[in-house]
Amino acid sequence: MTRHEAEIKLKRIFGFDKFYDEQWETIDMLLRGKRMLLIEKTGYGKSLCFQFPATQFDGITVIFSPLIALMRDQVNSLNEKGIAAKHINSEQTYENNSQVIQDAINGKIKILYIAPERQENQEWIEATRKMNLSMIVIDEAHTISVWGHDFRPSFRRIINLVQLLPKDLPILATTATATKRVQADIEQQISGNLTTIRGNLLRENFNLFVIETKSEDEKLLWLAENINKLPGTGLLYTGTRVNTEIYARWFDFVGINSTDYNAGLDGDTRKEIEKGLMSNKWKCVVSTNALGMGIDKPDIRFIIHAQIPASPIHYYQEIGRAGRDGQKTYIILFYNSKKDDDGIPEDYKLPKAFVDGGRPSIKKYQIVINAVKQEQLGERQLMKITNMKQTQIRVIKADLIEQEIIKEVKFDRSKKYEYQFNAPELDTAKFNELRNAKLKDLDSMLEYVFTTEPRMKFLCEYLGDKPPNKFDNCDNSKYKKRTVRPDKSTIEKLTEFRETYFPTLEVESQSSNITNGVASSYYGVSNVGATLHRCKYENGGDFPDFLLKLMLKAFRKTFGDKHFDMIVYVPPTTSGELLKNFAEKISYVLKVPISHKLVKQRETQPQKVFQNGYLKRENVSGAFNYTEPNEINNKNILLVDDIFDSGTTIKEIGKLLTNFGANLIVPLVIARTVGGDI
Amino acid sequence: MNNIKQEYAYWIALAHLPKMKTARKNELIVKCFEEKLSIVDFFHCEISDWYKLFSLNEKEIILFNDAKKELPNYSFLVEDLLEQGYDIIPITSPDYSPIMKNNMKRAYSPPLIYTKGNKQIMKEDSIAIVGSRKAEDISLEFTDNVAKTASKEYKVIVSGFAKGVDKQALDSAIKYRGQSIIVLPQGITTFKSGFKKYYKQIIEGDVLVLSTFHPKAPWSVQLAMGRNPIIYGLAKEIYVAESSEKGGTWSGVVDGLRKGRSIFVRIPLSSEKNANNLLIQKGAIPVNNQGNKIENYSISEIKESVVSEPASAFDDIDSKIIKLLSVGEFTSKEIIEKLKIDWTSRKLINYLKQNQSIVVLDKKSPMKFTIKTKKNSQQSLF
Repeated sequence: MTRHEAEIKLKRIFGFDKFYDEQWETIDMLLRGKRMLLIEKTGYGKSLCFQFPATQFDGITVIFSPLIALMRDQVNSLNEKGIAAKHINSEQTYENNSQVIQDAINGKIKILYIAPERQENQEWIEATRKMNLSMIVIDEAHTISVWGHDFRPSFRRIINLVQLLPKDLPILATTATATKRVQADIEQQISGNLTTIRGNLLRENFNLFVIETKSEDEKLLWLAENINKLPGTGLLYTGTRVNTEIYARWFDFVGINSTDYNAGLDGDTRKEIEKGLMSNKWKCVVSTNALGMGIDKPDIRFIIHAQIPASPIHYYQEIGRAGRDGQKTYIILFYNSKKDDDGIPEDYKLPKAFVDGGRPSIKKYQIVINAVKQEQLGERQLMKITNMKQTQIRVIKADLIEQEIIKEVKFDRSKKYEYQFNAPELDTAKFNELRNAKLKDLDSMLEYVFTTEPRMKFLCEYLGDKPPNKFDNCDNSKYKKRTVRPDKSTIEKLTEFRETYFPTLEVESQSSNITNGVASSYYGVSNVGATLHRCKYENGGDFPDFLLKLMLKAFRKTFGDKHFDMIVYVPPTTSGELLKNFAEKISYVLKVPISHKLVKQRETQPQKVFQNGYLKRENVSGAFNYTEPNEINNKNILLVDDIFDSGTTIKEIGKLLTNFGANLIVPLVIARTVGGDI
Repeated sequence: MNNIKQEYAYWIALAHLPKMKTARKNELIVKCFEEKLSIVDFFHCEISDWYKLFSLNEKEIILFNDAKKELPNYSFLVEDLLEQGYDIIPITSPDYSPIMKNNMKRAYSPPLIYTKGNKQIMKEDSIAIVGSRKAEDISLEFTDNVAKTASKEYKVIVSGFAKGVDKQALDSAIKYRGQSIIVLPQGITTFKSGFKKYYKQIIEGDVLVLSTFHPKAPWSVQLAMGRNPIIYGLAKEIYVAESSEKGGTWSGVVDGLRKGRSIFVRIPLSSEKNANNLLIQKGAIPVNNQGNKIENYSISEIKESVVSEPASAFDDIDSKIIKLLSVGEFTSKEIIEKLKIDWTSRKLINYLKQNQSIVVLDKKSPMKFTIKTKKNSQQSLF
């Protein structure tokens, strides 16, 4: 097909007049059965490079992509043009996915988007034996590079697959985020006669700012006073889920139109928020960096980071979502450089913890290896035997599979890990290499924060872009530096906010009369956690009055209008009478009678010993009892505890009291931790 | 540079190409080798080259063109297999069993085998032990003996995982810490319970699981028959514990004999009703219960005992035993001790059972023997 002929078809099917030169170069190669790596910024039009050839091939084109939001949008847009496109992912029902697989086998689909995790799905693997395959596409190909910032173990299998495909099958890998090093890594992994086309990644309509602060509060204050001065709609990225809540509630408090978003929300809520974002419903969406990947919004006018990302390339990828329409766009990064007692800057700690904690200790790897040497084990069995968190097991398993020490074998309905004959010794040198590389990347991020060079120059050099002719779009060149100088009234508002913000405890379920409760604080915020630790484990005495005051505030704000018949408290494992004394004080102030009849009927260990949900449930199952069940019948009960982690203990007690006829159980807790497990 | 992994999808396509004999497939493979072409090159040849170099006919060209369309699908299968720890071994691989190549030659060597476990096992000397599914205890004892000896001599034991002799061969090999190959009558990914049961032995390198069929093929009678030649192919020597006059074991031996293989058949007791002697007549080498060759074994000796002692010594021992047993009841061990006979317990028990004048008491363990009298011949339960 000549370019001319192709452009006629392009106009007919997609409505575009012409291809960009690099688009045509790519498409031409693919039509001839070659392998291509295309590196271009978001919004360039990489999708057309595979969508067009897909319409020209006989069989089906399979696209591996980690971005569910993107899949959805692209499938919709293709279907509107009359092209048979579908997707398979975890957001759809099992039946839906099955039907799509059938359609693919029967030749009814031209373009199929699929998450790389599907390679582990039996039905999909069976289906691949029967489909007529014409082309394979790997989207976000940087995820296959271990040196890349966003390596996904599930993509390892895609790479293995690519290395096994017949040499005349066209393959396209695309990404918008690859340093030269990552590019080289991808090229090496895909191999076999691969051609690379690479364009400039940075947008020239960005205005880059860095604001140094000496506290977390200064960020909140600056934002309260300045965010409404920024044009249009934008995103605020916080480093943790807890912070998305805190910042969003602060914005509510000061009257800024915003909402919060994180990956823990259910599919429907996430879709709602994505829709709202597209229609500029809010000034700002406060989110972890889970939002934005693959969202096709051309007019995000600002992106603010409250916490530095792990490297300049993470940063580039996250800000790359803004300003696709080419108009002036504000990019702001906060950095809290206040040093703690050990001399470490506050905002350095979180990304450093991710790097250090990225891998469990070597000892844990050996425990897993030894367990699997004894018998074939599934993930859950492994968690039980080793008493490790699911996240840890998954990191370890991915490394062990990558080093070919274990393999994951399919049984009828389950998967088990098998130790391999002649498996090599665990290669820990590689882990250290990776860790050091990540620390270096983090240091580069700090260099960006403190550089006095034009910021655009820094980023271009880091990414491997050709730099522009002049640099006039940052606070080291054309613009003044932003500083934090808040009004007194704003500072007062913040104090007020901190004293009235209380996290929810999510424990409701259909089979129990327990409702969601409230905590007076997050464990890690202010000195609540430190105080609790001192009292419980360092003989610091009874819980001090300020905790009582905070607790009462939380209670009155959330449940002040409810009537309670009694207070009970969770019987302690190791901390003696602290909680009893505390509960008695609450009882006295609220004038609600206290009962000491919720007891332990067998020994349990402290929940914090157990690293995962299964073991926690086992630990407390059937461990509690109420000695006079008649007293409970039809009553409203306030259930008090000091720390809420996974909520297993509270839920267990909720069930117990429900079985004895309690009408309502409300948990009230001093501090809620962030984290927990399944 | 051709990475062997890139060839796997092509090898699977060739191995499972329907309607083409193994001999023809291997012919093409050899031709590739001679022309210094890889299997990848072969598949992507121009049709004219298929005609000229490989003399493919019309039908074969269609077969290969169809197979080419399936290559991407096979790639997914290969990825899945490698991910689960299976090995894919084409006939051109250095890992392929040299014994099988030598035995089955171009006509019958499977172009591709699938394995899990220690591949190096295929490089060691090996024997196969075959026999009926409904084997008698004596056949199982034989199997155990042979396996024991083989394990001591570091010979690999090849068997088919069927009930009876096959299972005994495997379990004995494991008991004596020898190495073994399980040749499956089904696709390698369908062997789930076996992988669980022999997990330790597999990961320690003592058991290799092998299949030549499509990885997902379920068990069928056809495949069960089809794997017998593979068992023979992987072994240097064949030991037959027990065979009937038809069925897998019988046809395997007959076929093997025709091809000049060394096949050792256990000499049956006169009371046995199987076809072992027929096989010996056909040219199989007779062996005793220990698996040792018996020279000058003639079928007319069926009626006599299986002991290969010179006549005089035989008479001597015979009368000694009768003398001893006429004064009491003894276990075989006791007899050996008292008379200082250089026989194994098993050998003696067989002899005693054969002897018309001797009776077995109670059949409890350990068995006791004595002279037959009117009294106890009424009590015996034969």
